[in-house]
Amino acid sequence: MTERVRVVVTLIAVALALACLPLVGLPAFYESFLYLVFHWIALATSWSILSGYAGYFSFGHGAFFGAGVYTTTTLAAAYDVPFLVTLPVAALVAALLSAGIGAVVFRVKRLRGELFGLLTLAITFVLATIVLNTRLDGGPGVYLSNVPLPRLVGSPTGTFYLLALALATGTLITAYLVTRARLGLGLYAIHDDEDVAEVEGVPTFAYKLIAFAISAGVAGIAGGIYAMYVSYVTVGDTFSVTVPLYVVLMSVLGGARHWLGPAVGAALITASLYTFTSGQQAILGRAIVAFVLVLVILLLPAGVVATVLGWRRRRADVSAASATGGAEARGGSSGDWRTRGREAASQSEFGAADPPRASAPPVALQCEDVWRAFGGIQALRGVSLRVEPGEIVGLVGPNGSGKTTLINVISGHYTLDRGRITLGGDDLAARPAHEIAGLGISRTYQIPRPFAQLTALDNVAVAATFGAARCALGEARDEAWHWLEFTGLARRASALPHELNLHERKFLELARALAGRPRVILLDEVLSGLTPAEIASAITLVREIRARGVAILFVEHLMRAVLELSDRVVVLNEGEVIAEGAPREAMRAPRVIDVYLGKTQAHVVA
Amino acid sequence: MLEVRELSIAYGGAPAVWDVSLDVGAGELVAVIGPNGAGKSTLVNTIAGLHRPRAGVIRCAGVELGALPSHRVCRHGIALVPEGRRLFTRMTVEENLEIGCYRDEARAERAAGLERVYGLFPILRERRRQLAGSLSGGQQQMVAIGRAMMARPRLLLLDEPSLGLAPAVVDAMFAIIRAIHDEGVAILLVEQNVIRALDIANRAYVLEEGRIVAGGAPDALRRESRIREAYLGVAN
Amino acid sequence: MPSATLLGQAVVSGLLAGGLYGLLALGLSLSWGLLRLVNLAHFALALLGAYLTYQLGTALHLSPWVAAIVLVPAFFGLGIALHLLFARFRVTEFTSLLVTFGIAVILESVIQWFWTADYRRYETPYASASFKLGPVFVPLLELFACLTAATLALATWAWLRFTYVGKALRAAAEDPAIAGAFGVDHRRHALLLSGLSAAYAGAAGTFIALIATLAPSQIWAWLGVVFAVVIIGGLGNPVGALLAGFLIGMSESITMAVVAPAWAPLVSFSILIGLLIFRPERV
Repeated sequence: MTERVRVVVTLIAVALALACLPLVGLPAFYESFLYLVFHWIALATSWSILSGYAGYFSFGHGAFFGAGVYTTTTLAAAYDVPFLVTLPVAALVAALLSAGIGAVVFRVKRLRGELFGLLTLAITFVLATIVLNTRLDGGPGVYLSNVPLPRLVGSPTGTFYLLALALATGTLITAYLVTRARLGLGLYAIHDDEDVAEVEGVPTFAYKLIAFAISAGVAGIAGGIYAMYVSYVTVGDTFSVTVPLYVVLMSVLGGARHWLGPAVGAALITASLYTFTSGQQAILGRAIVAFVLVLVILLLPAGVVATVLGWRRRRADVSAASATGGAEARGGSSGDWRTRGREAASQSEFGAADPPRASAPPVALQCEDVWRAFGGIQALRGVSLRVEPGEIVGLVGPNGSGKTTLINVISGHYTLDRGRITLGGDDLAARPAHEIAGLGISRTYQIPRPFAQLTALDNVAVAATFGAARCALGEARDEAWHWLEFTGLARRASALPHELNLHERKFLELARALAGRPRVILLDEVLSGLTPAEIASAITLVREIRARGVAILFVEHLMRAVLELSDRVVVLNEGEVIAEGAPREAMRAPRVIDVYLGKTQAHVVA
Repeated sequence: MLEVRELSIAYGGAPAVWDVSLDVGAGELVAVIGPNGAGKSTLVNTIAGLHRPRAGVIRCAGVELGALPSHRVCRHGIALVPEGRRLFTRMTVEENLEIGCYRDEARAERAAGLERVYGLFPILRERRRQLAGSLSGGQQQMVAIGRAMMARPRLLLLDEPSLGLAPAVVDAMFAIIRAIHDEGVAILLVEQNVIRALDIANRAYVLEEGRIVAGGAPDALRRESRIREAYLGVAN
Repeated sequence: MPSATLLGQAVVSGLLAGGLYGLLALGLSLSWGLLRLVNLAHFALALLGAYLTYQLGTALHLSPWVAAIVLVPAFFGLGIALHLLFARFRVTEFTSLLVTFGIAVILESVIQWFWTADYRRYETPYASASFKLGPVFVPLLELFACLTAATLALATWAWLRFTYVGKALRAAAEDPAIAGAFGVDHRRHALLLSGLSAAYAGAAGTFIALIATLAPSQIWAWLGVVFAVVIIGGLGNPVGALLAGFLIGMSESITMAVVAPAWAPLVSFSILIGLLIFRPERV
């Protein structure tokens, strides 16, 4: 039985056991209490699907909850739609609302982090104002006491209990499956570095929209059930800051990146709020909850679940003296790869056996007359170059000559103003970066940009999953293992990037670029900052990559390495190609000497 | 004036520096040349207090600087003209210059300092109310040098002052550097334009892959094939 | 269509209300723009100031102006304490939003604990004082609040513009490393600015006590409007915050007069959303 089946079966079994409780006569008080626990589990877990996994902290969960509340209220109270039928409609309305917001907001790069939080909060208040001033509410609130409640079991509280239990179970299963799927891995990558995720091939826009819609849809259903539970809804209560405050707090407390974290947080907080029942005590309870929020953010930024799993991991590491394991704590890793990992780690680390998958047929990269300006500055002025399969082309030139800009344009990070870039027969110019990665172009960053909260293995697995290799998730981890071995990082597979030294992080960049099974690889100063011994091993590695038929475009300042590695060099200056050809000849061209050493030198030495 | 001994620096993804020792005497102009990515900027930024060294000693006029918080370093007469200028683009030219004389001793001589900078760069007087971000590259470089001069440094750290400037502007910039040097200010110059740097310097060091591989008088270095090799990878 | 008098009244009331928005936005704009901290607790501090003014006035019969002399320096100290906390835990721009959200809820609970959720009204002789400008009523208190806001905004602007500390703050906001290389000790200045920002919240609290009806949940009522003001005015720009306050105040009061009072929040929130989506580079 795979881990996935085991977890889902366990969740369903627990839910079925809990569903029997009303039948054996659970007191109504406990039914109500547990209803609230499940209600908050569903809300907090759904919130974390976008905000926890992808890091888009929303303060607008109240808007989608409220959309659900008023969808059910309006349909059931004004149009006599049966209550249970209103729930899927509530989910749909909330999901559409979020998709509409996302379709606009997710296009604006600047709207991440705190601005996204602020924006979603503002949207909540706008929605509240609209509901308050239209026939949806109109001001005094709406009663649902005349809406018939289908009796699933004897008592109304039992019915709400069962509905919320079903919703919470469904949400947890969804959240669990998301974290174990491509979507989850993509969202984790977005969380750590969205631009890099896109360049690695993650369809960031689509993934954010999907996560937002799932998240809002669940909140909509929770709102629909809640409307019926309280049977009298007002704008003030529905759209208050309670919902966003509590879901953020519960998720942060439990750990928003772990599928079970928000549920643990929700259970803890609902239980502690319930001990402060009414009046003054309720105020005290809320203050304590907020105080805990502040403490958790300052002291346990990863949340309770991840922190506890982290302790367990460290203890296990010490006893087993093994570097692997513990991926649970970081989220996003299934169990199967770990056993394989231990075996593989003991095998040879360098020049591993042949890859388990065949690469796509090799093709050439061609840039024709590429132009790109930033403001008034022409960074690229009609650059043309071609890299054949199995060829290493060195791209050199002084600082600011446009080398990195060219890499950014080819990889789709920037659009080009004019010109054509083709890979085999495919035109790259109009495509988003993730499609370019899918076609078989990958790159490294001069200053390594690993996904900070994913293990080295998962960093590479992201590229294997979303790059040209298009691996299925389990396969992706095998593929990732292969490339970690190839770059000599297999021992460090379960390390987080900040635990790696610069040399290892540079090689992680390489492993990540290779795992996409690229046909063209763009290396941006992979050697800078390395010691001479590390440089030598990196040069060996680049040679091996070329031996696999990959075309390599290689930006480097270290001339010794450029001459040693390149079949051809292209010299850029002020965005123009000023020389091209066999390395030694090109570097002796008078124009190149002028650019590098100044005018006089050309005469002195020539 | 400045004594650097066995300095090693490594952080983030920036080029690292290993075991570097160098000296700048009072009133001397010393160039550090070497290809891009050799660690030249890392070196001067660390001397200016922007980064902590991993090992080694930086001493200025006998005072150990390596352990000081960055805002204390400038008290010992060191001013930096950073690579890429790094002006405060949303402040005016004059305000940028005034940040230069922020430390107490320099503040007292604000007016004289401004006169001196405007004397060196008359165009800046005309532009003094303009936002620094709106200036041309050459004018921005003038502000960056002026800002450092306002600090009344005994040692000026110049990081790639000719980067991205038109040839005519580069000429003017080197004339200014010479003028500042003639006033008795010691200068540590990092420059990719080898010929210019060697023309102006009293002594020079060659930095390659984070280590000093050669050093001495400009004439001797000019003849060394090592430099051509470092830059172009090919000797004749 | 409402009459010219009604419109004129709306413009004047809007301008005066906008002054208070500007005053509330001032501290927020400074800490966000120059320290990169988004302080949601700013509103809670202002409301705490209002309740304390109310308490000192009703229980101890202290004039609100005397209360302000006590409260504003106390809030200055509170701001410094908060910033020490943020600095100790290396709070980033993003976590500042979460932490101050928590602090705001704690303060809201504290207010509710001592003063309950009931509406409170601080009756003073100034409340009804007004004069007539043609057909338009000008309430004196609001006018005074507005003038205070304008004075503080201009003084802060001049401080940032003409003093070494002000210039150092702006420089360090752009490039702290280089500012540090010229001797700027940003950590000390940040404490000063945080204290100042909280002191402005205290000053705003005095006027809120005198002008508005108090309820703990008002913390959230101000939030959207004032954030809109901060962003429209430009982060770290005190005069911009004041002018944006006037703009939002007027657009709200004209909406109230022309459409209906309950629609007024829509204006400021829509402006905020529009700005975030279409001009996010301003932030």
